[in-house]
Amino acid sequence: MKANANPIRRLLAIRGMGQVLTVSLGLVVLCLVFSYINPLFLSSRNLHNLSRQIVPILLVGVSQSYVLITGNIDLSIGSVLGMSCMISATFMTKGVNPWLSVIVTLICCLIIGFLNGFLVARCKLPPFIATLGTMTIARGIAQIANNNYNTDSIGEAAATFREIFYYTRFFGLYSPVWIAFIVWLFFNFILSRTRTGRHIYAVGSNIEASRLSGVNVNRTVIFAYLVSAFCAGIVGLMTTATNGMGAMDAGNMYEMYAVAASVIGGVSTLGGQGILLGTVIGAAIWSVLQNGLQFASAPVAIRNIVIGAIVIISVLLDIIIRSGRWHFRQRKPS
Amino acid sequence: MSEFIVEMEHIDKAFPGVQALDDVSFSLRPGEVMALLGENGAGKSTLMKVLGGVYQRDSGTIRVFNNEVGDLTPNMAQELGIAMIHQELNMCTQLSVAENIFLGREITKNGVLSNREMRKHSREVLDRLKINIDPETIVGDISVSKQQMVEIAKALSANARILIMDEPTSALTAKEIDDLFDIIRLLKSEGCGIVYISHRLEELQHIVDRITIMRDGKFIYSMDYADTTMDTIIENMVGREIKEKFPHVECRRGKKIFEVRNLNAGRMARDINFELYDGEIVGLAGLMGAGRTEITRAIFGVDPSESGDIIVDGKKIQIFKAEDAIRSGIVLAPEDRKRDGLCTKLSVRENIALPNLDLLCNLLGIVNRRREREMVKRMVENFSVKLTGPEMIAGNLSGGNQQKVVVGKWLARDSRVVMFDEPTRGIDVAAKVEIYHLMNKLKQDGIGVLFVSSEMPEVLGMADRIIVVCDGRITGELPRCEATQTRILEYAMKFESKSERLAV
Repeated sequence: MKANANPIRRLLAIRGMGQVLTVSLGLVVLCLVFSYINPLFLSSRNLHNLSRQIVPILLVGVSQSYVLITGNIDLSIGSVLGMSCMISATFMTKGVNPWLSVIVTLICCLIIGFLNGFLVARCKLPPFIATLGTMTIARGIAQIANNNYNTDSIGEAAATFREIFYYTRFFGLYSPVWIAFIVWLFFNFILSRTRTGRHIYAVGSNIEASRLSGVNVNRTVIFAYLVSAFCAGIVGLMTTATNGMGAMDAGNMYEMYAVAASVIGGVSTLGGQGILLGTVIGAAIWSVLQNGLQFASAPVAIRNIVIGAIVIISVLLDIIIRSGRWHFRQRKPS
Repeated sequence: MSEFIVEMEHIDKAFPGVQALDDVSFSLRPGEVMALLGENGAGKSTLMKVLGGVYQRDSGTIRVFNNEVGDLTPNMAQELGIAMIHQELNMCTQLSVAENIFLGREITKNGVLSNREMRKHSREVLDRLKINIDPETIVGDISVSKQQMVEIAKALSANARILIMDEPTSALTAKEIDDLFDIIRLLKSEGCGIVYISHRLEELQHIVDRITIMRDGKFIYSMDYADTTMDTIIENMVGREIKEKFPHVECRRGKKIFEVRNLNAGRMARDINFELYDGEIVGLAGLMGAGRTEITRAIFGVDPSESGDIIVDGKKIQIFKAEDAIRSGIVLAPEDRKRDGLCTKLSVRENIALPNLDLLCNLLGIVNRRREREMVKRMVENFSVKLTGPEMIAGNLSGGNQQKVVVGKWLARDSRVVMFDEPTRGIDVAAKVEIYHLMNKLKQDGIGVLFVSSEMPEVLGMADRIIVVCDGRITGELPRCEATQTRILEYAMKFESKSERLAV
């Protein structure tokens, strides 16, 4: 009965790991193809670039994965990102202490996250509608923050802020990569090792069974939306640091990129399934495709078509695998 | 001190339009298995859901372990040691066995899940029940029967002393039922009280100590199993007087219209053979979940069938989808009007036109408004549907009138066979009689009528011939003159004997 004798078997015993390994293989193949087309793809400069491109996709991927695993969806991620960018930048240009700005900004994001969770869990709004509404609201707040203008440069006072959220390197990696890594590690721990995380899977798997087992379903869903908004807020801050200013349309369409990263990484849109390691791979595939197609001198339009197709194919595979297994189970004589 | 661990007295519970429980009393001793018996809709599950905290009672008292409890919630019931295994399994299929067993009661250490400990406890419980499942298996990957066992393990790991099982054997094989009975005997010897709801009366002798019979939301009687006979049980389950009037019309049986040969469609429609003749109404009787709906759906082509021939007017026809059935003149008025029968947000006109658009449209697919109006007018008048006008929204009609529209939309074309699934469910007595008249009219017009009904008096009152289904098979056929409630129920509970070890 002891399964921990063989390390590979132990690895595969982790739920969802099989799919993650399959997708990782796809990632390796992609990297090989792109480096064959253009050897510069694997240059240290491009790899640094790539690592920084992955960060925002990974973090919004964590956002969306949390919500998707509960069986819901969050369309407000991109707008919350934009809102975070504009609010923080506006404060900083007005001379507010950057760290105070960061805290206030994150609180604003969490309010939107709570609203999402409350509307979906307590008011029983369809998540698509509820977060479509907050998506528009958050974008409106981003626009209103600086009277419908992008902000000026956040200036010298925020230099440390920019250092930490964009420039600095530790051990050869840019700080956003470290931030993303820490955030990911933290939320991965919550999801895989704590009671709340377990409840997130349970609610997404069978909400009625969870309720009858005494799980606080509403609190669980609200928590997932809070995580979602928090991560989106962090990316917003990084965007401010990167650009040195606030842009009203920051994060446009990122909720969809987030769905893509999650789904490619094996998070099911039907809930209850997926791990955050998969989201990392999903985000990496997304970024490698963007970056590699650029290196292969593919026009933007082609890039979009390829990436769109990849998203559809991965979800299609997910559905086929699921329904295939289901049929198999049905036919099995009981 | 009382000898009972559960006492429920004078429990009332009403749902909109139905008195589900009417002054019901119930008691359970430690270490006994109590069978709760009754027909569909007798209120068995409702009563147990009140005890399990899923529903709140309207009035009455509940005492558990001699303490009076107020309004229960699922959580409170769990804490009191009441565990309920629902008829439909409630498992998180993507989680593992151990995770399901501890769902809502996870063991943590400094906020971190102690998976190892939970696995260990799960294994202990499973071992105690002699269930051979690895706690790390994903629940969705194990058979339904094993899932049932996991539910029991989950109940026990929460230290349940009162276990409610609602139809636990419906999905199990003979071997698994024997295993389940072993578990029940084990729990009994440990002093747990078990409430056992089942339609399979032949199982009772193996485990049951006492029985309680309910009918129409009322308590009928309770007694020791040893002091009763199967006949008295069935009589008391059925024994209601027939109140409704059934306008039966005698017709001469004409030629054969419709024939089903060796139809197989999944587990719930196995080797189905029957015929319909001109001038007769055939009732399809059976218990809930016996496969009646599945049979009609397979004939209509909405569910795939593995094999079988369908013959209309002597001509064999191929049905792959509902469209094929409709073209051949076979139509179905489904069980759930609001979900399957009507587009409730569309008007009566649009609903009636929907399946007939092929007749109403020209080659370009443009609807001929004049013909549509005429068709709707004809149907509304023929069936005397009461409405303010053809533009009335279908969802706003009364149940009986909705049913007329469901039927009417099919009769606007020349149908040969009409299948009704529970045509009078949820409509009042007067409307029922109108639906019966409608069925008689079809019969007189030489259209084959097959109707599924759970209401015995209705089947007995309206059908010229009754086909009884049990567990996906036809177990009996009775002509009108020979049919009685008792005989139908006998056939309806003629399960393939599953318990091998203790054959009846």
